[in-house]
Amino acid sequence: MKVPSQFCGSTMEENSSSASQNHNGQLSSGANVPLTNNKHQGNDNGTNGDAKNERPQYSMPGILHFIQHEWTRFELERSQWELDKAEFQARIAFLQGERKGQERLKNDLVRRIKMLEYALKQERARYHKLKYGTDLVIQGDTKPPIYEEGICNCPNSDVGGGGDGEAPFTSVSNISWRQGRQILRQYLQEIGYTDTIIDVRSSRVRSLLGLSNNTDSEDMNTPALNGNEPSNKQASENSVRRIPGKKQPSSIAEAIILDTEAAVMANFEFLAHTDMDMEEEEGDVEDDTYDTNMDPKPNKPSMLLTEDVDAEAEEVLNELNLLTEIEESPPGSIRYSSEWSAIRRGGHPDPKRLNEEGDSALELGELEQLCVNNEAETSYDMVATTKESLRKTWNAKYTLRSHFDAVRALVFHPTDPVLITASDDHTLKLWNLHKTLPAKKSASLDVEPLYTFRSHTGPVLCLAMCSTGSQCYSGGLDGMIHCWTLPSANIDPYDSYEPSVLSQTLKGHTNAVWGLSMYQLRSQLLSFSADGTVKLWSPQSKSPLLHTYISEQDGIPTSVDFIRDESNKLVVAYDRACVVFDTETGESVARLEANETKGVNRVVAHPTLPLVVAAHEDRHIRFYDHRSATLAHAMVAHLDAVTSLAVDPHGLYLLSGSHDCSIRLWNMDNKTCVQEITAHRKKFDESILDVAFHPSRPFIASAGADALAKVYV
Amino acid sequence: MKMADGCVFFRRNRPGITAKNFCRWPDEPFEEMDSTLAVQQYIQQMIRRDPSNVDLILKMPEAQDEAVWKYEHLRQFCMELNGLTVRLQAECHPEACTQMTATEQWIFLCAAHKTPKECPAIDYTRHTLDGAACLLNSNKYFPSRVSIKESSVAKLGSVSRRVYRIFSHAYYHHRTIFDEFENETFLCRRFTAFVTKYNLMSKESLIVPIMEEEGTTESEA
Repeated sequence: MKVPSQFCGSTMEENSSSASQNHNGQLSSGANVPLTNNKHQGNDNGTNGDAKNERPQYSMPGILHFIQHEWTRFELERSQWELDKAEFQARIAFLQGERKGQERLKNDLVRRIKMLEYALKQERARYHKLKYGTDLVIQGDTKPPIYEEGICNCPNSDVGGGGDGEAPFTSVSNISWRQGRQILRQYLQEIGYTDTIIDVRSSRVRSLLGLSNNTDSEDMNTPALNGNEPSNKQASENSVRRIPGKKQPSSIAEAIILDTEAAVMANFEFLAHTDMDMEEEEGDVEDDTYDTNMDPKPNKPSMLLTEDVDAEAEEVLNELNLLTEIEESPPGSIRYSSEWSAIRRGGHPDPKRLNEEGDSALELGELEQLCVNNEAETSYDMVATTKESLRKTWNAKYTLRSHFDAVRALVFHPTDPVLITASDDHTLKLWNLHKTLPAKKSASLDVEPLYTFRSHTGPVLCLAMCSTGSQCYSGGLDGMIHCWTLPSANIDPYDSYEPSVLSQTLKGHTNAVWGLSMYQLRSQLLSFSADGTVKLWSPQSKSPLLHTYISEQDGIPTSVDFIRDESNKLVVAYDRACVVFDTETGESVARLEANETKGVNRVVAHPTLPLVVAAHEDRHIRFYDHRSATLAHAMVAHLDAVTSLAVDPHGLYLLSGSHDCSIRLWNMDNKTCVQEITAHRKKFDESILDVAFHPSRPFIASAGADALAKVYV
Repeated sequence: MKMADGCVFFRRNRPGITAKNFCRWPDEPFEEMDSTLAVQQYIQQMIRRDPSNVDLILKMPEAQDEAVWKYEHLRQFCMELNGLTVRLQAECHPEACTQMTATEQWIFLCAAHKTPKECPAIDYTRHTLDGAACLLNSNKYFPSRVSIKESSVAKLGSVSRRVYRIFSHAYYHHRTIFDEFENETFLCRRFTAFVTKYNLMSKESLIVPIMEEEGTTESEA
């Protein structure tokens, strides 16, 4: 607390200003009025006495006049001082109010998070129950957060409170009360109050409580009710103090002080219950009242002064009141305050205060409704989002069987539930997931292909799809890249042959084309081949070949992808490293390599981050930062060579396929495995050859050497 | 897979390998194949070793289920027929070959449709292969590749009969394509031997005179 020093500073200023004021005084005692911080009066008297001895020409009325003048000056100073003090107090109160507002907002958010967590758990449990027919056992607490209890279980706390107007309020824990107390004590010590004074205060409080009837319930708080303690104590303090204040004012000043205190308490009590900050505030205001209390001057001026303070304090408190009314309050406290104001109404005669409280209660009542609405909103939101983001387990739903040999690649349509597979049996097949065969007894649905693309004279190794879904590209062992116009997704599978489906063939590679990558925005296609080259194509243009990239030292590429966050770069995997090329100049920009990395089977770039993910033959998945060319993360991801990778459109999940027959879904953020699915059987030492995410629908797919492709939802 | 000499290698096609090295790995003995696709692996391995050695390719390993053996061979035939179809697509136009015929005796109706249709030859070819692909992969008739339902074995004959017409059409109408293809793959030879060996088709319907030792089966009957 910087209050004392601030006050001190202000007094000094006051003194100096009053000193300068003195020069203009009638008697012009000049600079010989030595004003120091304390004991103005004594010093002045001394000066006066000296002046009297040395200069007897001063007349009695003159001296009296001087004294009177000095007196009024001091009074002026004092009132200015008080004014400043009140200003500072107002500022303190304002800042504290602000802080409390933040605190409350935080609490509210924390509660909301807890609620959402709880609802999520419930939802998961329900989903689990619906799906497996058994209750999900959650290790954590399955109870709703305290917050909800605070709202719902009001009757319980009423019962616990003995029914004599105990606040149905449970959100303040005993700990926070103690902490508040501790902090308050600290502050008081800082200001200069000793423990004894606090003790005196508390004993006074106790003696006052002794007059009250409901002391018993207050003092006998059971441990179970500890949560209620602060509010109860405070409340009874209020009521108790008020009563003696009214009934037996020992002096006018004390009466006023008590009244102020009561007013303060009344204003604060409904703020005070949520957190310890309020305790501080209360303490400060009480400091204030104590300040005046310590001034043992029951004379008229001091009396005026106290009244002044009283008025000031009231002003401050009104301001505070306004603040709290503006602030959004958590529902728990609202209920409490409204309940309490109802009780107060019965017991308290002050109409103004009652009015105020009624207002605030009304205000807060509205807020409560608002809060309830918010809750409803959030729960709705959650229901809406559950479907998408909380989907945790993928299950095989469609089995695509029609290929005669290993399925090497698959690609989804950008929007429709349509995909294309490419196989060692020299064909590509088009599938519409919405056209399933009537379900037999098996759980997964069979889909029959809509169209078979035949033109490759060897196994088809890779696929790509253009952004509109009207064209698809396939590369084969025969070194050809074919561009296909996709037939309608509702075509009759046994329609007549339409040669124009094959719209174009990109010739340039002299050996097997192993990989394709599409840059949707520019409609550019990357291909790499066993002839050691990477080629950039613009399939729609007259001379489609744009560029050829070769890295002499690295030999034959093993995978290729556009770098998605920097569209002028592409990454090519070689046996020992991944090389980043500039698409325009064709120069290598960076080399991504880690110790003893070899055998990259697939490289994919993150859609938004400067991240390149590589699947290795040595069972690792490695993450590189392509800008700094550093290894960001490496992990053993599978039991066997990792063959294929796919990143979901949002960049949150990574899907990997391996020759260990499983596909795994990884959380991109913390690199943990979210799900593993054993998907395909081995043919020789090959198992899973490709994986894919649907760009806009919740589908993932895997292609296997067992001639099957599977789609998971 | 570990070789006896201790060097570790895998029978897999890493991305980037050349067309020449595709599936070029040391043979794996059939007894050591523990995959559910062992029969396919074995057949493909034998074909890769020497596609002309039809008898060896069709020599069934001991203790092998015959139905699965036939089924896997038929899958392999259908798969390889894709190669012939790709060639036919370039030459066999619906305007020229409006019907699926081999000799003048029969017009084959396409069974892929609800009511059999007189499809042009190229459509017939595609539809037949597509239909065969669906049937042979059907979860209903062939749910497993390790054991074949007794009731489904009969399907193998009808598939064989239908796909044989592709050979016969190519032989009688696109002879150059047929010969080119046959010289590379020996597929018709192997197919004829296969259906004869396992008695999937009648001798009279094998109208492509491919088996010299059996003389001409080119009877117009």
